Amino acid sequence: MTTDTRLRRITGHVVLTVLSIACAFPIYWLYATSLRAPGDVHSLTILPWPLSTANYAAAFANNDVARMLANTAIVALLSAAGQLLVGLLAAYAFAAWTFPLRRTLYLMFVGTWLVPFQATMLPNYVLLARLGLLETLAGVIIPNLCSALGVLLLREHLAGFPKELLDAARMDGRSSWNILWTVVVPVIRPALAALGILLVITAWNEYFWPAMVLQRGNAVVQLGLRSFMGTEGNDWGPLMATAGLACLPVFVLYLVLQRHIVQAFVRSGLK
Amino acid sequence: MSRVRLQGLTRRFGSVTAVDDVWLDVADGELLVLLGPSGCGKSTLLRMIAGLLPPTAGRVLLDDTDVTTVPPQRRDVAMVFQSYALYPHLSVAGNIGFPLRARRRSRADIRRKVTEVAGALDLSALLDRKPRELSGGQRQRVALGRALVRDPGAFLMDEPLSNLDARLRATTRAEIAELHRALGATIVYVTHDQVEAMTMATRVAVLDQGRVEQAGTPAEVYDEPASVFVATFLGAPAMNIVPATVVATDGGLTVRATDLDLPLGIDATTPGRDVLLGVRPEHLTLTGEPGIRAVVTAVENLGGDEVAHCRAGTHTLAVRGPRPLRLAAGDRVGLTARPEHLHLFDPGTGGRLVWRTADIATPERNFA
Repeated sequence: MTTDTRLRRITGHVVLTVLSIACAFPIYWLYATSLRAPGDVHSLTILPWPLSTANYAAAFANNDVARMLANTAIVALLSAAGQLLVGLLAAYAFAAWTFPLRRTLYLMFVGTWLVPFQATMLPNYVLLARLGLLETLAGVIIPNLCSALGVLLLREHLAGFPKELLDAARMDGRSSWNILWTVVVPVIRPALAALGILLVITAWNEYFWPAMVLQRGNAVVQLGLRSFMGTEGNDWGPLMATAGLACLPVFVLYLVLQRHIVQAFVRSGLK
Repeated sequence: MSRVRLQGLTRRFGSVTAVDDVWLDVADGELLVLLGPSGCGKSTLLRMIAGLLPPTAGRVLLDDTDVTTVPPQRRDVAMVFQSYALYPHLSVAGNIGFPLRARRRSRADIRRKVTEVAGALDLSALLDRKPRELSGGQRQRVALGRALVRDPGAFLMDEPLSNLDARLRATTRAEIAELHRALGATIVYVTHDQVEAMTMATRVAVLDQGRVEQAGTPAEVYDEPASVFVATFLGAPAMNIVPATVVATDGGLTVRATDLDLPLGIDATTPGRDVLLGVRPEHLTLTGEPGIRAVVTAVENLGGDEVAHCRAGTHTLAVRGPRPLRLAAGDRVGLTARPEHLHLFDPGTGGRLVWRTADIATPERNFA
């Protein structure tokens, strides 16, 4: 190995090390702070000592954290499931069927992606108010049941689906609806799983829309964080503890399904 | 098994006519090969028989039922695809049983039938494997099994051997031919490979630009090609085609071109007529008294045979014969061919010309 390539390798490692510390440190600091004794919250020691779970106790005492986590999970899973189902049906129609105005309809569908959230939030809010769905989880979920991203990604994926496989299934006696569930879904399961994970994480992290719909209660965990921020100052310890709990499911999901998640992000970038 | 009839079947894509007024009658138990170059419309035709593509005009009949508007899942035909189109998430047993599950047959019934078909195709040991764990030849047999398990009225096969290597192709070809004999199955088989067509078919339909140029037994299309296209598409190397003139001489009719003078063996007179003369490379023989005066330009070794490429006048002619031909580039040779091996075609239409009766002054066009 020449000095030149060795130098390049070392530089590369240094840059990557610095970047990963920059990314990981805030998360480490979050958990470190949450585990300090209530008096040490503003301490700047790298290692929290003595360890204390007092902040977690305070978080649970102040809010129904378990309930909020459960609500967040319901919102994330239902909206992700809805987006997957709508995306799958729309993408299948666009990819496997030929019908008049197919291209136009598809572009319109995907075009909704370009409409900024700020433009739709007020009409959606008014509609929910009329329907009496404010302050309910349904109000958080229903406007998010369809995502252009899901349709776009699944359609691009299905466009590469071997047409002969669909033809074969038709010859073998399946109806179009049957083909979707007995052939298409099993074959593209990895893509569906990857997209599903991406959608769950996005929905889990959503703050703004739940904050609009659920103004009085603290029904999802991201809003629960607000209760520790007051005019007299922030209650950092329980705040960090709750934030740490809010991040946990995403980290667990990530650790278990790492390969799928990386694939999901790569797909959404490339295809 | 069923009889398949195509009546005036036509398919246009925009301004392009992919299949143009095709009439074919595939008898019960027949293996009809649709043969043609890529883009001739043979796969489009097959997809219309399958019901995967609606025709622009014409009818498809299975036995006596008009199935033109019947969707594929309710037609009694099975298809073997070029890519095999095996379901990647299902095992071999799952793939073969798939059509039966779609028909809601009982589990025991399906298992019995799958075992039977797998046994016949030598797949019994592989029933639990996924398609990606199989070799090309095994995948091909699974695709065949999935068609066989249904006991369909007719089989449609779209270039099923084109993804196999040469040796496997030869054995699978024999297997399909054997299957056809054993089952007495009606098979419509699409290929661009003339060897497959000649060896397997009971009848060949040669297609060009969406039209059936000729339909007949392999021997008929080879020995009496109906057009220049059929003549040059079949045979390796292709039939030699030379623009020439038929003239009357003292010894009867003779076909003439530069450095070429071959008697037709017909004792008659005719005014001069321009034709295209066709003669197969294996029908040209070396002779002392030249009908054709040619110079050898190159010699190819095919193993058992040799092909000598020759120049006569402005034309090149291929001569095929058992090795060694004892020729080398630069040799001057005389060539001849027996009158029954000379084919005449109309220079305008490309259609085959036959001499009908002695009292008709000009050779008449005849479409087979």
